[in-house]
Amino acid sequence: MIAFQNVSKYYDLHTVLRNINITIQKGEMAFLTGPSGAGKSTLLRLMYMAELADEGNIIIEDLDLASLKMSRIPFLRRSIGVVFQDFKLIKNLNVFNNVALALRIRGVVEREARNLTSEALKKVNLRHLADSYPQSLSGGEQQRVAIARAIVADPLVILADEPTGNLDPGTALDIIKLFRDLNLQGTTVLIATHNRELFRGTGKRVFKLDGGTLSGEEVG
Amino acid sequence: MAMPYSFKSALQSLCREKWINILSIFTVASSLLIVTLTVFFLYNVELVTSHLPERFSMMIYLKDNLPREDTQNVINMLQKRADVSKVRYISKSDALKELKQTLKDTNYILEGLDDNPLASSIELRLKKDFVTGATAARIAEEVKKIPGIDSVFYGEKIAEAIHLLKRSVENISLIIFLTISLGVIFVTYSTVKILFYRKNEEIEILKLLGATGSFIRMPFLIEGGIIGLMGGALGIVGAFIFYIAVTYRLSMVIPVLKTLVFPLEILIALPVIGIILGIIGSAIAIGRLRL
Ligand SMILES: Nc1ncnc2c1ncn2[C@@H]1O[C@H](COP(=O)(O)OP(=O)(O)OP(=O)(O)O)[C@@H](O)[C@H]1O
Ligand SMILES: [Mg+2]
Repeated sequence: MIAFQNVSKYYDLHTVLRNINITIQKGEMAFLTGPSGAGKSTLLRLMYMAELADEGNIIIEDLDLASLKMSRIPFLRRSIGVVFQDFKLIKNLNVFNNVALALRIRGVVEREARNLTSEALKKVNLRHLADSYPQSLSGGEQQRVAIARAIVADPLVILADEPTGNLDPGTALDIIKLFRDLNLQGTTVLIATHNRELFRGTGKRVFKLDGGTLSGEEVG
Repeated sequence: MAMPYSFKSALQSLCREKWINILSIFTVASSLLIVTLTVFFLYNVELVTSHLPERFSMMIYLKDNLPREDTQNVINMLQKRADVSKVRYISKSDALKELKQTLKDTNYILEGLDDNPLASSIELRLKKDFVTGATAARIAEEVKKIPGIDSVFYGEKIAEAIHLLKRSVENISLIIFLTISLGVIFVTYSTVKILFYRKNEEIEILKLLGATGSFIRMPFLIEGGIIGLMGGALGIVGAFIFYIAVTYRLSMVIPVLKTLVFPLEILIALPVIGIILGIIGSAIAIGRLRL
């Protein structure tokens, strides 16, 4: 479960998020949309504690972020798979090791890590690029590496920040289907995007963010 | 804990940043070589000076015509002392015999003496640690109070000199060792600090992916340890060259050097010292991680 309770976030005097209340059930799939600068990425960043909320409280699964001990932050982050808007791939590691890193961090034994990594790369159609390094990949390929890394450890929650921004419409729909499959297996999924095509006809809830406030909710 | 992963990561980093690492390995090696030479020096000075205190003795002259039981009493009391290692009784007649032996051909000097003019005495040897000017003086003072003792003689200056020599060699060696250790820690500290800054972006990503502090630290600690280890290994090579130069080459020209002893055990210690100092240096370099 993801719950935002009266959450606000300020950068100096600038209000980025104002009084946000959202509840997403465990196993639900939902979208977050809004224009550029609306605060979508910031809202996601609060969930994996890359930023701390200035007001209100956030609950992820059974963790209460306001009272979470510093030493528990890695534990929180390991229960979430994040597709970062800027990918955040490690340039010294090849595609395979970038994805496997998520498992190594979780202490998965090497053999299993290799198998799971191969599987995840297959899901995003990147097995042929396993030995390549990030800087030799196209934007769309890099984005799919980031997606593979987010899903490889089978996290409880997946947060995807504009995960199809660099993909052609066909591939984008494949990726959404991938997320839907994971969601069917019980993973809670939240996707931030300004591409309305992604959620049209999905029947999933869409939260609309505008200038830092929740301006409405619709069904895609 | 993904140990093999940390190792691989550390080795990759060592290869990627070859020059920085080679430079610091050489610096660590030469520092450890200085430590070796210091230990070598200290060891030999120890060897020479360790026997000096054993030669130091204190002479106690007994009162004239002290009865046998009283003499035995004095000997017992001295033997009971914790700071005494050996008590040797020299009777009047023994003393005369020794004197005659010392005088040898000139012992006619003693002819015509019908009475033995010498006093009975006790030679006292102190345990090593008590051979200092101050403790020798205190012991002499205490011994003097035992009834039946006439006077106590000992070389205060010698006791003090022996003590001072040992102390200063020990202190100088300790200072050199500590300074060099700090130097080695600093070298690995700066190397790992540079690598740490260069990897800043990667570390930020690791944190966001949920890596724990120890997961992030481990490769750096291993890397620091390896730098120390390689420095130690290289130090061994240097020390070995030094050893051969001194014991084979130089000792032919300067025979005194033959008596020098090279403790080979320190060669084993070098890599271990290197690893420990390297790990300390990198641990300080990483410091506290903010997640
Ligand atoms: N570290 C920061 N310091 C100051 N302002 C920031 C910081 N991060 C974000 N902002 C501001 O917060 C606002 C929301 O940014 P955010 O990245 O959340 O938008 P977004 O909805 O994800 O936009 P986009 O669709 O372009 O990704 C923006 O106005 C941005 O300038
Ligand atoms: Mg964004």
